[in-house]
Amino acid sequence: MIEFLGYPFFQRALLAGALTGLLCGALSFFVVLRRLAFVGSGVAHAAFGGVALATLLGLPPGLGGLAVSLAVAGATARASESSGVTEDTAVGVFTVAAMAGGVVALGFVKTNVDLFGLMFGNILTVDPADLLLLAGAAAGILAVLAFFFRPLLLASVDEEGARVAGVATGAMRLLVLTLIAVAVVAALKVVGILLVSALLVLPGATARPLASRWPGFLGVSIAVALVSVVGGLLLSVALDIASGAAIILLGTCLFVAALGIARVRDARLRVLRAPGPC
Amino acid sequence: MSVGARFEGVGVTFGGRPVVEEAVFEVHPGERTAILGPNGGGKTTLMRVLLGLLAPDRGRVAFIENGREIPRPRIGYLSQRSTLTADAPLSAFDLVTLTLAPASGFRRLGGVREEARVALTRAGLAADKQDLPVGRLSGGQRQRVLLARALAGAPPLLVLDEPDTALDAEGLATLRRLVAEEIAAGRTVVYVTHDSDAMGGADAVFHVDGRVSVGFAAHVHGAAP
Repeated sequence: MIEFLGYPFFQRALLAGALTGLLCGALSFFVVLRRLAFVGSGVAHAAFGGVALATLLGLPPGLGGLAVSLAVAGATARASESSGVTEDTAVGVFTVAAMAGGVVALGFVKTNVDLFGLMFGNILTVDPADLLLLAGAAAGILAVLAFFFRPLLLASVDEEGARVAGVATGAMRLLVLTLIAVAVVAALKVVGILLVSALLVLPGATARPLASRWPGFLGVSIAVALVSVVGGLLLSVALDIASGAAIILLGTCLFVAALGIARVRDARLRVLRAPGPC
Repeated sequence: MSVGARFEGVGVTFGGRPVVEEAVFEVHPGERTAILGPNGGGKTTLMRVLLGLLAPDRGRVAFIENGREIPRPRIGYLSQRSTLTADAPLSAFDLVTLTLAPASGFRRLGGVREEARVALTRAGLAADKQDLPVGRLSGGQRQRVLLARALAGAPPLLVLDEPDTALDAEGLATLRRLVAEEIAAGRTVVYVTHDSDAMGGADAVFHVDGRVSVGFAAHVHGAAP
């Protein structure tokens, strides 16, 4: 494995993995807090339709994925705000429509489309241009998250209280969905459509039972994402297995471990709080 | 600085069914105003219009200060059923500071932190509970946190929707004392209740009852009815 660390392609892969981990870990905090696991997954899957459509039209696949993911995010936010349809329901409808459109578009495509790469990513083929794009997207998303952190956090835990305090909660909902859409497309090459949706959920879900206040929740979420992506990549080389799958399987192991730790901790707290013998 | 509110022909319908019709009444600055009525009569709906959470189908609410109309001021609000998630990863202190300074951007929050501590202490939440996650607090302690959030930063208008429902006797006594202090400081308090004496008497009482909407019941300046 030490030998791999000397290769430029592997160094780029590690850097891309760290950037994706940082990005998905921070976003996962809001995905889990706002209970958007299915919505995040839906927006990620919608990118498939956009990539297929862009391929048919001879446009950059990432651009198509971004356009359709943003459209689904916007339509989901709009439908849930104006017509009383829940975000889960709205994204469920728009995502399958986008994917069905993608399947139809692929039927007309004469060139070979790397569907496997699209769905599962290939972090080892990340080139300098991909890395630059990912770094730019990560910096932009993290800056926006930091700037809007307070209204986003308040709107995520108490929508009515936030509105009374003057927060535009509809705009915050749209902002989170838009950032998810951008992150999905930015991380497409690293972990693919199927796995990026898992990476938007797993870190936050792992951090949730371990931290009762937001600083710990956010910090553990980012740490779990970084360990999952970088550790998964190293494991994939050591064990000669697919990198995307190794990343998600490691993330899942951390999630199960977090549940176990939380269970043991809660049991110990119950014992400590129980009244002693008279 | 006392702020009043004037309901000018406010009407709200839900699914084609009128909940409030032609509500015309005024909340006078610096007074304690009680909104009474049966369940489903439209009391909370009127408060949601006052807070800007609900756009009326007809009419509007105008806010008045020194006889002149002003934009909607900052309003302290204690809701009947808070939408705060039970497992929110926030301490009581976090919640109050976030509500006091919810705007985006990067800035120091020194003064806000102090105001939050003062509000939590005034609301009767012990110092050792103020940094605990809200999910670990009892129902009564949680209600005190929400009360502190409503009072924090001395908003000119305070809206309390059935504030006596989740408080024990001691909590209710604290609330009455705080409302009296707010009124003495010149602030305006509106509360929805089944009992006009719940906050220690009212300067004005309005009766809201379904389609009849608002019926003026009493308005006694300077003394409780």
